[in-house]
Amino acid sequence: MFGRVLVANRGEIAVRIIRALREMKISSIAVFSDADRGALHVRVADEAEHIGPAPSPDSYLRVDRIIEAAKKHGAEAIHPGYGFLSENAGFAAACAQAGIVFIGPSPESIRRLGSKTAARTLAKQAGAPVVPGSEEAATNIDRARALARDIGYPVLLKAAAGGGGKGMRRVNQESELESAIRDASSEAERSFQNGEIYIEKVIEKPRHIEIQIAGDRYGNLVHLGERECSLQRRHQKIIEECPSPWVARHPELRESMGEAALKIARAAGYDNLGTVEFLADNGGNFYFLEVNTRLQVEHPVTELVTGYDLVHLQLRIAAGEALPFTQKDIGWRGWAMECRVCAEDPENQFFPSPGKIAQLREPSGPGVRLDSGVYPGWNVPLEYDPLLAKLVTWGPDRNIAVERLQRALNEYAVAGIQTNIAFFREILDDPEFLAGNLSTEFVADFMARRRPRAVPAPELDLAVAMAALAHFQRARQRATVVAEVEGSRWRAEGRGQLVR
Amino acid sequence: MKWLVAVDDRSIEIDSEQLVSVEEVEPGVYSVLLDGASYEIRLLETSQGLSAEAGGRRFIVDVRNPRDASRSSSAAVGSGRQNVAAPMPGKVVRVLVQLGDKVEAGQGLVVVEAMKMQNEMKASRPGRVIEIRAQAGDTVSAGDTLAVLE
Repeated sequence: MFGRVLVANRGEIAVRIIRALREMKISSIAVFSDADRGALHVRVADEAEHIGPAPSPDSYLRVDRIIEAAKKHGAEAIHPGYGFLSENAGFAAACAQAGIVFIGPSPESIRRLGSKTAARTLAKQAGAPVVPGSEEAATNIDRARALARDIGYPVLLKAAAGGGGKGMRRVNQESELESAIRDASSEAERSFQNGEIYIEKVIEKPRHIEIQIAGDRYGNLVHLGERECSLQRRHQKIIEECPSPWVARHPELRESMGEAALKIARAAGYDNLGTVEFLADNGGNFYFLEVNTRLQVEHPVTELVTGYDLVHLQLRIAAGEALPFTQKDIGWRGWAMECRVCAEDPENQFFPSPGKIAQLREPSGPGVRLDSGVYPGWNVPLEYDPLLAKLVTWGPDRNIAVERLQRALNEYAVAGIQTNIAFFREILDDPEFLAGNLSTEFVADFMARRRPRAVPAPELDLAVAMAALAHFQRARQRATVVAEVEGSRWRAEGRGQLVR
Repeated sequence: MKWLVAVDDRSIEIDSEQLVSVEEVEPGVYSVLLDGASYEIRLLETSQGLSAEAGGRRFIVDVRNPRDASRSSSAAVGSGRQNVAAPMPGKVVRVLVQLGDKVEAGQGLVVVEAMKMQNEMKASRPGRVIEIRAQAGDTVSAGDTLAVLE
C-alpha cells in the first residue's frame, strides 16, 4: 500500500478522500488555489501545497503544477476525485510518466470510454443497448442538421468529452438547432477544452439509473448494483438513492443492467472503479448513456447499502491488490438516499449564492452521514461548483431512509448564504416522490405544480419577532457598554496627560 | 414597553416582558419557548436588514420602537423604470440585447456566470432597454445594475 497520496481536488470530495487515507494510515497531501487557502480540505490534510490562482484552469486543472506538488511532497499516487482532471487521460498519462500512480483506470480505458461517441461505439460492439444517435461528433452545422433529421426531433445535444450536463441542450425543432449547437459547443469548450458535440434521440420521461462497477488488474470485474439519480435540475443530479425504486419494482433489471455494464467494462479492459449510466424507459428497456471513469459524487449511497468503502477499494486496486470479493459476495441491505446541498437560492431561480457561512448547524444522529467541505466562517468561493455537502441517510427501507432525511434536513441550518435545504424538504414531502414515481423530468414537473408556501403559523411569526427584539436589545446594550468603555478610556488617557 | 416588529410584511406587537422566554443559546441563535412549544431562531445582519431563519423558512425582520413606527415600509415596486441587477457576484458572459431594444416579459437580457453555472437575467415585464451597464467579461457584484428598462 502507498505511504503518501496527493489529492488533486477540493471541497467535500477532497475531505472524504483524506478521511479514507487517514483510516488507512496513509499521509495525505492537499493542493489549493488562492481562494482555498483556508478551505476545509487544507485544514484536515497532513500536508498542503499551493498550486495557483483561484480560476481552476490556473490551479486545479494545471497538470504540471499538480505533478510538481506530488514530486515535491514525495507522493506515490494521486487521487483525482471527481470533476477537474479525474477523467483526463492526458493527466493519467502524465502521472505514469512521472512515476506516480493515477488512482483510476488506465489512460487507455479513459480514452476508450471518456469520449461519449467512442464509448457508444464500444458499448454497441459489446452488445449493450444504446440510445439511437450519431456515432460522430457534429460541430459542422450542415452535418448536424442531417444527423438530427435522421434521428428525428426532439434531439439532445451532448458534449463528447462531457459530464454533469455541461454542453447539453434539448432541441425540439430544426430552427433551434444552430444556436443550440453554438451554445453547447462553447460551453463544452469552456468546461472540457473540447467543443465536440454529438446528437441523440430524446427518451421521454426516462429514469436515470447507473451501475457501479469495480475491477482489478487481474481481470476480475464485479458490479455493486444500481443507483437511481433521476432527480436532476438542469441535468445536475440533486437526489440519488440505492436501490432504485424502479429496480425494486423490477428486480430482474439489476442483473440485466449489471451484466450490460460489465460487458462494456470488459470490452474496455477496465480496472478500478467506474460507473455505467443508463436511461430506463417505462417499458422495461434501458439504454447505455455513458461511462464515468472515476468516483461518482453519489458513491456514498452504494457504500451504505453494500457496506464497502469505495475509496478504500480504489486505493487497494491502484496499489495492485486483487478485488477482496467476488460477485456472489456482494449484497444489498436497506435503503440509502442522498441530497446534494448547494449554495444556491431556490426562491430566486436557484441563483448561485457564494459568500461567507455565518452560522452552521449540521445534522447527525441515527442513520445520518454528512460528507461536508465547509465550516462556519468559511467563505464559499464563486469560482467553483456550488456543492457544499452531501447529506446521506440509511434506513432498513425507503420510508425510513426518507424519514431520516426529512429529520436531518430539519436539523440542518446554514445562515449567511442561501442553500437548497428548504427545497429538499419540499420535495421529500411530495406524494409522487414518496411513491417513487421518478423521472429526469421530475423536478421540472414539480416546479410547475409547486405551490407558494402557506403563510407561517402566527406562533412562528411571534417567536421570530421575540427573538428579533431580544437580539435588537442585546445589540443596543452591547453598543452602550462599548461606548462607556471607550469614554472611560478617554478619561483615563486625559488623566494620564495631566499627571505627566 | 411595547414594540412593533415587522416580520416580512406582517406587523407584530411585543411587550418587553415577553422576552423572559427568549434565550440566546449560541451567538445569533435564539431559543424561544412559547406556550410550551420550542422554537429555534437564527438571526443575521445582512445587507437587506436583519434576516431570520426558523422552521426552514427565511424572514426579513425589522424592529421598531412604537414611537417612530411611522417610518415608511419597503420601497414601492412596479413603477416605470426597471433595474436589472445581478443577484450574485459573477462574470458577464454575454449581453443579449442592445440599447433601444423592445423586450418582452421573461426575455433574457444578460448572461452572468458564477459557480460554473450560466444564469440568464430576464426582464420581469415588457419594456425598452434605455441603458446597458454591463459588457461581456465584466466582473459584477451582487446588486450591480446590469441594464435599465423603461
